[in-house]
Parts: sequence; C-alpha cells; structure tokens
Amino acid sequence: MQTKIAQLRQQVEAEIGSVTTEDQLEAFRIKFLARKGLVASLFDDLKNVPAPEKPMAGKYLNELRQRTQMLFDEKAASLKSTPHVSAQLDPTLPGRRKFLGTKHPLMQTLDEIKSIFVGMGFGIADGPEIEDDWHNFSALNFPPDHPARDMQDTFFVDRNILLRTHTSPVQIRVMENNTPPIRTIMPGRVYRNEAVSARSLCNFYQVEGLAVDVGITFSELKGTLLSFARRFYGKDIKYRFRPSFFPFTEPSAEMDITCFICRGKGCRMCKQSGWLEILGCGMVDPNVFTSVGYDPEKYTGYAFGMGIERTAALLYGVDDIRLFYENDVRFLRQF
Amino acid sequence: MKLSHNWLQHYIKFKLAPEQLSEQLTMLGLEVESYEHLGEKYKGFVVGQVLEVQKHPNAEKLSVCRVNIGKEVLQIVCGAPNVAAGQKVAVGLSGATVPKNQHDPNGKPFTLSHVKLRGVDSFGMICSEYELDLGPDKDGILVLDRKAKIGRSLSSYLGLDDVAYEIGITPNRPDLLSHFGVAREIGILTGKQPSLPKVKLRESTVSVAKHFSVKVEDKVNCPRFAVRVIRNVKIGPSPEWLQHALRAAGLRPRNNVVDVTNYVMLECGQPMHAFDYAQLRGSKIIVRQAKAGTSFRTLDGKEHTLPEGAVMVCDGVREVSIAGVMGGENSEISDTTTDVVLESAYWNPSSIRRTAKALGITSDAAYRFERGADPHATPYALDRAAELILQTAGGELLKGRIDIYPKKINERIVPLRTSRCNRILGTSLSSSEIVLCLKKLGIAKGKGSADKNFFRVPTFRVDIEREIDLIEEVARVFGYNNIESKTVAAIDLNHPFEKQILADRICDTLVGFGYQEALTISIQSEETSRLTGASPVVLMNPLGKEMSTMRTSLIPGLLEAAARNQSFGNTDLRLFEIGHVFRVDSEPQMVGNIREDERVCLFLSGKNLPRHWKSDSQELTLYDLKGEVADLLDACGLDSWRYIYYSTSETLAENPIFVEINGTTAGFLGKVKGEVCKRFGFEQEAFVAELTLSALKSDKKKKYTALPKFPKVRRDVAFVVDSNVTSEIMERCMKESGSGLLQEVELFDMYEGENLPKGKKSLAFTLVLQSQEKTLVDHEIDTEVRRIVTRVERELGAELRSS
Ligand SMILES: [Zn+2]
Repeated sequence: MQTKIAQLRQQVEAEIGSVTTEDQLEAFRIKFLARKGLVASLFDDLKNVPAPEKPMAGKYLNELRQRTQMLFDEKAASLKSTPHVSAQLDPTLPGRRKFLGTKHPLMQTLDEIKSIFVGMGFGIADGPEIEDDWHNFSALNFPPDHPARDMQDTFFVDRNILLRTHTSPVQIRVMENNTPPIRTIMPGRVYRNEAVSARSLCNFYQVEGLAVDVGITFSELKGTLLSFARRFYGKDIKYRFRPSFFPFTEPSAEMDITCFICRGKGCRMCKQSGWLEILGCGMVDPNVFTSVGYDPEKYTGYAFGMGIERTAALLYGVDDIRLFYENDVRFLRQF
Repeated sequence: MKLSHNWLQHYIKFKLAPEQLSEQLTMLGLEVESYEHLGEKYKGFVVGQVLEVQKHPNAEKLSVCRVNIGKEVLQIVCGAPNVAAGQKVAVGLSGATVPKNQHDPNGKPFTLSHVKLRGVDSFGMICSEYELDLGPDKDGILVLDRKAKIGRSLSSYLGLDDVAYEIGITPNRPDLLSHFGVAREIGILTGKQPSLPKVKLRESTVSVAKHFSVKVEDKVNCPRFAVRVIRNVKIGPSPEWLQHALRAAGLRPRNNVVDVTNYVMLECGQPMHAFDYAQLRGSKIIVRQAKAGTSFRTLDGKEHTLPEGAVMVCDGVREVSIAGVMGGENSEISDTTTDVVLESAYWNPSSIRRTAKALGITSDAAYRFERGADPHATPYALDRAAELILQTAGGELLKGRIDIYPKKINERIVPLRTSRCNRILGTSLSSSEIVLCLKKLGIAKGKGSADKNFFRVPTFRVDIEREIDLIEEVARVFGYNNIESKTVAAIDLNHPFEKQILADRICDTLVGFGYQEALTISIQSEETSRLTGASPVVLMNPLGKEMSTMRTSLIPGLLEAAARNQSFGNTDLRLFEIGHVFRVDSEPQMVGNIREDERVCLFLSGKNLPRHWKSDSQELTLYDLKGEVADLLDACGLDSWRYIYYSTSETLAENPIFVEINGTTAGFLGKVKGEVCKRFGFEQEAFVAELTLSALKSDKKKKYTALPKFPKVRRDVAFVVDSNVTSEIMERCMKESGSGLLQEVELFDMYEGENLPKGKKSLAFTLVLQSQEKTLVDHEIDTEVRRIVTRVERELGAELRSS
C-alpha cells in the first residue's frame, strides 16, 4: 500500500508541473481529486490493508490528499494572476479612470443621521439662516437681558435680526405652521461669533429634532435617542444622560457615550473623562408651547440637537475642523 | 468655577474621593470639567532648617549647608547670597521635580538628583520663589515662616494638600456659585444636610446708627441693602488659612478686609463690598440711579461713562460704587484705611446685567447678581464678614446693622401634580416619593390634596418658579438614568420634504458626474459680496473686515477653494456647493427685508479626464458645463426649460447663458471673467453655473408612455449657412417643418474655414425619423428629408452640401 501511495505522489508532483491552462488544471482535478479520482480510489483500497498497517496507511493517504489539494490550489491561484499576453492585447495596461466625485464628509455624516431618524418616522424641515430675535431667542424662552443669551455669541444684522445661533428656531417655525403630532428633524447651518480655530468656526451645521404629541415623555426621549446612538455609534455602546440646562427644554439633559477612541480609559478626545458628549436634549419647555399657541397641558414633547462637525470629527478622527471648510480635494476624496 | 475639596468639607462631611465626587456631581448636572491635586507639583519638597553655612572650599559664590529635614540632616550646596543659619527653607529632595529652572530661558522644569558641585556632594536643593513657581523672585532662596514645622511637606505648608475642581455651572443655577451651594448638592448624594458656621459677634456699645446712615432711593432695583461699620481695623496680609482657601479657589489674596469679603462670597454666594469709611463723605450712603454720561473710575483704575439707569451707591456727594458690579477707586480699602463700611445687598438681576453689559465689565459680583443672589443671605453674609474681619484685622464692630429691606421677599409656593410629573417623565412615582426627592433639596411640602401638592421653594433657588421646574428637580434627584428608555413608533406626515429629495437628487447627480461637494464659509468681505452687484447683508458686530457680510453668491467661495487646490497642484477641478445666499431686498421678506435663497453652484476647470495612455484628455470648455447643466435639469425631471442667450449684465461671467425654467430665470452659466479669477488668485480658465434650487423643483408626475413599436431611421444632412445663423435656429426650423415623423435633430459637426467662402459655415445634423404607425419605407423617408431641407434652404438661406 505504501509503495502505491508513494508512486501516486510522484505522479501528482510530475503532472502538476506541466499544467499551464485552466483546461489542463481541470483535467488534473478530475484525474486526481474528483470523487472517483485516483486519490479517492486508494482510499477505497484502504479496507483491504491489514489492521496493524491501517493507521499508518491512513495517515499517509491523508497527507497525499492534502498535498494534492494544495498543489491544485496554488496552481489555480497562479493561473488566475498570470495574464494572457499576446501580440494584440496587453491586459495589464491601465484602464481609463474618471475623476471620482464625492459628497462632502459633513453631508455624509448628516445623511447617516437623517436616515436613522427618517427610519424612525421623523420628517425633515428647514428654515432661514438669518432669523429674527423672536424665533431664535424670545419664543425659545430666552428672556431679554438674560445671561442664557451669553451662552451663544451672536452675529447681529440689526437689533432684531441676527444669524441664527442654533437650528432651534426651526422648531418654532414648524410649530407655528403645523398642529401636532409633530416628529421632525431640522438640519442646517448656524452661526456663532467666535474666532476661527481648530475647534470652532463662525459657521457650522447642526441637526435639531422635535417631537410633539399627546403623551410624549422623557422616557420616550431617552428611548429614541438611545436607538439613534446605538444605530449610529454601535449597538454595544454604554451611555448616560446627565442633567443640563437649555432655556427651551425642561428637564434638560446631555447624552454621553463611552469614548470609542479610548474605550472609556480617558484620552485627549474625551478630555480624559472617558465620556463623549454627543447631544443635548430635553422636554419642550411649557413656555415654548405657549409662545406658539399650543396648550402645554394637552401636549408634551421633546427636542434634541447635535453638532455635525463635532460628530464627523469624532467619527473620522479629524483633529482640526477647519479642514471641513478648506475644500482641499485631497481631503474631500478621503471620504 | 473653581472649588476646593477641603473647603467643601467645612459645611458637609463626605468621604467621596475626588473621582467619585466628580462623577456624581456631573450626574447631578454640575459638570466637573477637571480636577487637580494641587500639591502634586511639590511632591518631594519639604520644610527644612539651615543648621550651618560654610564657604565652599573651591567656589567663591557657593556655600555648603547642613539642613535638618526632620528625619535626617542633609548636606546641600547652595548658591544664594541670602542663605543663613536658622532659616526655615523649602528643600527639594533627590527625585523631586523643580517646577521652574531659573537657568533655563523658558524656565523648563528639571528633576533633582544627587550631584557633586565642584567636588562637594549635594543631596538636595534649597529653592527660590521662582523655582517653586510661587512668584518672580530669583535673587535668593525663599525663606519660610519661622514657625514652619521641620519635615512637613511643602504642599501641606502651602495649604495645597487639596483638590481643586473646575465645575461648569449652568446660568440658571446661581445658587451653586459658592462652596456652600455645592455642599447642598453633595447633601443629595450623602443624605446629610450641610450647614453654615454659626456667627458669634462681639459688638461695641456704640450704635452704628449714630455714625452712619443709608437711604435707598431706587427701591425697585435695590430691594435690600445692609451695612455694618467696623472701626480701628489694621489692614495687613491675611492669615495663612485664608490665603490658602482663596488660592485653592483661584483667587489672589490682597489684604485681610478684601480677602474676607471674597471669602464670604465664595463661602455662601453673597458678593460683598468694603468701603473706606473715611472716604464716604457725609458718613452716609444713598442708592440711586446715575445721570447718564457721568464719568466714574472703578477700583481697577478704568474710567467709565455711566449709562442711563445705572444704579449707583453714592455717599453724600458723589458716586462711590457701581451697584453690584464694581466698587470705585475713590473709596476702596487701602493700607491706611482704619474704619470700614461693609456692604451686603440684593440687587435686581436685570438691572445689574444691563449696566454690566453696557459698561463691558465682568466681575464675580456682577456674575452672581445678574443671575440672582439670595435676598435672605444678605444679613448672614454681613455678619459673617464682620466676624472674620474682627478675627483677622481686629477693630471695634459698631452695634447693630443697618438693613433697608422695605418689602419682604417670600419663599415661592409652587404647585406640583403627581400625575403631571409622571406624564412628563414617563415614570410612575408616588406622591410621597416625589415629596422625598424634593425634601433632599430643602424644598418642603406645604398644603396638598390627593394629586396636587404645594411646595415651598427657598429664595436661593431662583430657577424654580413653575411646576415644570419642580419636575426637573424630581428627575434630577431620582436620577435621569433610573428613568426607563421607551421607544415609540410613529410617522410624521407633515414633513415629507420635497426640497430635501430635490437637493439629494442634485447632489447625487453631480457626484455621479465626478464633482466634489464643497462647503464654504458663508461670511465674507463686503468687497467680495458686492461683486455680484447685489446689496449684501452687513453684520453689526463682525469678526473683522474680511468677515463682515453674508455671501450673495456661492461662486467666490468656490473660486477661493479652487485657488487653494491649485496652489497644492490640483488643477483639474469639478466642485459644487449647495447653500444659502443672502441679499437685502426692497420688498419685505420672511425675516425683515432679507431675501434668502438656496442655490447650487457648479465649478469646472482643467481637464475633462485623468491622463490615459490610449487617448488624450481635453481641456474643459463651456460646452462641457452647458451639457452637464442640461443633464442636471433632466435629472431633476424638468422638461420645459431653455437656454437664453441675450446679454444681460452678469458681473462675474462673460457672455453668460441664462437658464429659463417655466418662464422664470433660474440662474446662469458661463466662463468666469479673467479679472474675477485673478482677484481670487486662480490662474486657469474656469466655468461656473449657479442655479436657484426652488426653480428646479418639478411638478411633473412620473407617467408611463407606450414605447414605439416601429424602428427609428437616421439620415445625415449638412448645410452651408451664413456664420450668424445659430444652430438653435436651424434646429427649430427643421423641427417646425416636419410632419411629425422627425423625432430628434442632433448636431454632429460644425466647420468654418478652408473650402468655404468667408462668412459661411457648415453644420451637419442627424435627423431621426420614426412613425408611430408603421415601418417607414425609403420613399417616405426621402420625401420627409426633402421637405425639411427645402424649408431650411428657403427660410435660412442655407445650401445643402452634397455628401
Ligand atoms: Zn477617550
């Protein structure tokens, strides 16, 4: 038996060397490796081998089968990567390329966020970037002469007209023009009177969310945003909601997730805290409902908002947000 | 705000480590941004006493000292001229890091090790004030207090065995702007109530009313004003404990009286002010509004012109302090002050804010008063400050306090329905659970019925006015993370948002054409905004001249981006942006007179394709852009649009081609004027198109039309015509002549020059013919083509070229 195995092995080694085409390789496979091939037929012979020799013979036979399969695989791989060069055609010459277009990374991030909320039944709305005091501040429960206005450095066009400092005025416009139920997100560009640096720009993108209906609760706010965060950042994230302050929501919260860069150990991105702040949210303040003529006893609602630059910077590991507005195609093409 | 761990312990005992406290306060809404072990930097520094000083045998300026550091006596080589036996000094041991190297120009820190200096062993270093980063003095070693304990760690000697927290306090919570305020929140965590120290005062027999008087004229803005007078104080540096406390909270100590006022503010949140009694003319204070335009010098030496309505503290003759904002230079405590008038008041928040904002002053006092102080804290703070001044500066406290408080400010009574609380939070808390939560905050239940309870809100909680404010507090104490997360499925039918679909469609189409989406800043210089001829929206408070107006077009931003790319060697560019542009309109708009439009802008320059071995890439031309705009309009589902070629003034492009959709102009395309390119530093031919998004919206419903059953036939014809006959005119002429068989006309060649007479050109077209009823036979085709040719010859003076 062992001689038979050795002979077949020699035959295999010799024949594989002369294979140069796919057809020859297929013939090789049928001859040796197929169900009724030469290797398989030796396995059939195994039953005739005396018991004491059986284990050894079986071992050699297995080795032969593995070797044959390996030679076959190697040859198959090498045939695939060897071009058929002829006088008429060199297939390795480069193909004709196009200039590839890409969507801006901020818009890609925004698209992802939009698609998750649209999937949860939210609509999309927008509003003007130049706003009046009413929509940007007063209707959102920022009283005149209140320090809360200092939280947002504002560009003014005149005493009453300004560049919106957040997308929240769209909440007011949506409520002024619709009756509940409302579930919509409001993406857009906003402005802050801040010197340009690696961490801040005078304009940036936000996406706002608003849900108003009978019976909406803080519990639902948490559930919705948790679903979003799990879809966007990964289903295994750890998260927390902590109290915060926004004039137009009460109770107000900020949502943190464990830093996905250091996995909670603390790094530069999370300012050593192990947590990343991903969004602000809260229950719509009754004063906001009153300013748009909704009955705060009948309706409750929640609102949330997040910055796109920060989200995209975290997601793609961009450490200077000015890059998003320099439009260097070497940067844009990376996304 | 900066808070000291040790200081907090004065009001409430707690065992939480800094890390735990940070985490738990953060979860209560007091975001601990960072914390710092203050003594960290003085690890390995101890208090030592110099026992003996001898001249170094090999160096003129060095001495060899024996220094007792408690556990042992070290030999240290020292170069300072002022070192002397008996001094208590700061000793850095081997392994310690000296915060600042005075021989390094940048003062970089360095680590100590055992060294030999000119042959003599030195086992440590006696440090200067500069080396310890405690002050500027480099000229000699720092000599410590005579009573300093030998062997004590330097950090403990300096009072730095402490942790400083940096906490972000939200503007609605002025009650947290003090150590006691934060201690109240710690009480929620530990279940204990914090308490302020009891004040014990030794008053003289002389009544304050005999020597001083107060009159409040502006009762609206000054609901409460109280003073005490202390005579014969000795102004000097504060004791160690007081200096340590202030330093840990990030304040610089000045003198005992001023330090006490600051200490009391950081203790209980009530800003205080101390006047030099001798400078208050007429021994009285009058609180009244300033005359607009009065000038006043604050104690930081700055001259201010007072605005209308600024509330001022005045003496018998003049202003002495901007109420609740900053004291005046004319009456501040100086080294020669002997008698002190202490002020503790409660001011109307919005009045303080208006004045501080108008004057551009930020101060710790204004910061607290404009957010809202506690009117009930006024007398406590006054007495506490008096107590501490007597302790630290001595003197005689006149009997009694003057306290002008005509209208008592009561605790607010706020109702809360249990059902409403659960309806907002989605919880199922019982009324007693809610009462318990609020009790932890010092908010007690008053009267109540089954569902509705009334709560007494202490005056320091200025943020709690309404039921919803109480609900927030319940949620905070109950714990946001203990509220269940529920998801609800619902569909919004109000906002299907066609605009979004259109913008996505445009974006996807252009990306498909190979365009990169760009986003450029919408604020730009007025010069740039005026290039379009539109009247730009100008900002009142711009960041600078280069950022003073809102963009009137997307073109300049893309030109700038293109120039930047060109400078990096990327010259083949296809860019687009979708964004808002703004201008001032003569008609009222949604917001003021500001017309805001969303536009899409295409920018093209360079080669049409990357280089390839088999075929050349070509320079992009206006026709590339023109074709792509047409494709884009097709992709938007528009069919009734056309190009218009009449010349209108377009300031950015030469020979612009306008796009008219359903009778209105949607935008234009063209080659950017050379001078405009140059202005942005772009040195290639560039083509742009800018279209208004709202005009690209198509109302067309998608509808199926039956596919043709019979084949198309193609015939080529070429004409020679006068050069001024446009291809569009010829096309139209052919289409109008047909019998309905002519489906399409395609121009496939244009030729001018040799073999043609001057002033003539040749245009070649493919005519595509098709019938809906049958397969066309040759003679039908010939008849139709002849009809078309005849008409073109007759109407346009064209001549058929034999093919
Ligand atoms: Zn991290």
